Amino acid sequence: MVEARIAFTSVGKRYGKLWALKGVTASFQQGEVIMVIGPNGSGKTTLIKCLLGLVRPSEGSIAVNGSVIGTDPAYRRTIGYMPQISQFPAALTIGQLLDMMRDIRGLDKVTTKDELITSLGLDGQLEKRLSDLSGGTRQKVSAVLAFRSGPEVLVMDEPTAGLDPISAGKVLARAAEVRDNGGTVLITSHLMEEVESLADRVAYLEDGRLRFLLPIKEILERTGQSRLAKALPAMLEVHETESAVG
Amino acid sequence: MTKVFKYTLIDLARNRFVLGYALLMLLVAQGLFMVEDDPSKALLSLVQVVMALVPLIALVFTIVYSYDSLEFTQLLAVQPMARRSILAGQIGALCVALLVAQGFGLGLPLLVNDPGMAAVMLSISGSGLVLVFTALGVLIALKHREKARGVGVGLMVWFLFVLAYDALLMSLMFALNDYPIEPFIVPLAALNPIDMGRILVMLQIDLAAMMGYSGAVYKEFFGSAGGMAVAFGVMLIWFLVPTLLSFRTFQRKDL
Repeated sequence: MVEARIAFTSVGKRYGKLWALKGVTASFQQGEVIMVIGPNGSGKTTLIKCLLGLVRPSEGSIAVNGSVIGTDPAYRRTIGYMPQISQFPAALTIGQLLDMMRDIRGLDKVTTKDELITSLGLDGQLEKRLSDLSGGTRQKVSAVLAFRSGPEVLVMDEPTAGLDPISAGKVLARAAEVRDNGGTVLITSHLMEEVESLADRVAYLEDGRLRFLLPIKEILERTGQSRLAKALPAMLEVHETESAVG
Repeated sequence: MTKVFKYTLIDLARNRFVLGYALLMLLVAQGLFMVEDDPSKALLSLVQVVMALVPLIALVFTIVYSYDSLEFTQLLAVQPMARRSILAGQIGALCVALLVAQGFGLGLPLLVNDPGMAAVMLSISGSGLVLVFTALGVLIALKHREKARGVGVGLMVWFLFVLAYDALLMSLMFALNDYPIEPFIVPLAALNPIDMGRILVMLQIDLAAMMGYSGAVYKEFFGSAGGMAVAFGVMLIWFLVPTLLSFRTFQRKDL
C-alpha cells in the first residue's frame, strides 16, 4: 500500500471552550489535488495551519511523508504555502524578499524555479518596494514564493483572491503541474468553478468536523449534478440521510 | 537567524519611524545643548528626556512593528526554520536598529557638546533602556492578540515605570521617613530599570550629593566597580527575563 503523503489522525484543536477542529481523520495521497471547502468558521484555516505547524493541535497527530510532525521544522522543506493575505516587510523590494526566502530555504539560484516571476510579469518589478505593490501583485509574489522550491506539498488558501483571471489561470496551471509531478495540493477556495476542474477530491468541513472526503466524480454521480456548486448542497442532504439510516 | 536579522534590519533601516526617532533625538539633544549655556545643565535636562522618551518609543514601536509583521512572521514560520531563529533575528534587528538610531540622535550631540563620563554613562544607560523596553515590547505583543490591547498594555507598563513606580517609592519614603529605610532603596530602585539608568548617570554628574542620604547610599553602592557591575547585571536581567519569556511564548504560540 502506498504511504499517504499527508495523514491526519483524530486531529482536534480547541480554543478555550470552542473546538475549531474535532476528530479529523483523513489521508491525502501523492499526485492529487484536494479542495478543502466549508462555510465560514468551519475549520478550514485551522486545518491548514495545523498542517503548516502554525497551530499546534490539541489532540491527534499529523504525519507528512510518514513522519509525525512535531517541533522539528525540517518537514516544511517539502511544503509550499500561498496564504490568503500576503503582507511583507514594507521597505524591502520584491528582489530582496525573494533573495531572503531563497536564503532561508537554502536554495541556490540555479535550482530555484523562478519561471513564475516572468510568467506573472514580475521580472520588471523586482526593484519595487513591497509597500508600493497592489494587493494583486503581492498575491503574485506570494505565488512565486510558494512554487519556487518545487514543493511536494502545496497549500493554497484562496489562491485566486485578488488575482486577475489570466494570472489566476497561470497559478492554477502551476498547481496542476505540481500534482502531475506527484505532489499533493490542498486548496481552499470559495470560487468553486475556478478550482473544480483542477481538484480530484473534496474535503467538506462543517463545525470543525470533516463531513466527507470524496472524489468530485463520485459527488457528481451520486447527486446527478454536472457542477460542484449545485452538487454540494445535494450531497450534504444525501450524506445526512445516509448518516441517519446508518 | 542571521538571514531574518539581515533582512529585518534592511527593512527597519528604511522605516520612517526609526528615521524619525533618530531625527527627534538629534533635534532634542542638540536643541538642549544650544539653549543651555552650561553643558552640564543641558545634560541634566537630557537625562530626564532620555529616561522618559526612550522607553516609550522602544516599547510602542516594538509592539506596533510586531503586530504589523504578524502575517510575515507566519510566512517565516512555515519555512524550514526553527521559531527561535525567527524571533532571535527579529529581536536582534529591532534592538540594533533602535540602538543605531539612538547612537546617531543622542550619541552624536553628546560627543560634540559634552564628551565625558556622564555622557558615556547616559549613552550606555539609554542603550540599556532600548534593549530592556524592546524586549518588554516583544513580550507584550506576543502575549496579546489584539494590537490596540497590546499598545494599551505597553503604555500602562511605560506609565508604571516612568511615573507610578517613583510616586509609590516616594510615598513609601515619605510615610516611613522616621525609619532608616535608605538601605532598602537600592534594591527597590533596581526593580525599575529607568531609575537604575537615572542613578548611574546622576552619580557621574555628581548630583548624588544633592540627593541627601539616599544619594550617599547610591554613591556608596553604585559608585564602586562592583556596584556598577551589579547595576549592569540588573539591566541585563531586565533584558534577559522578558526575552526568554518571549522565546517560550513564541515557541508555543498559535500563529
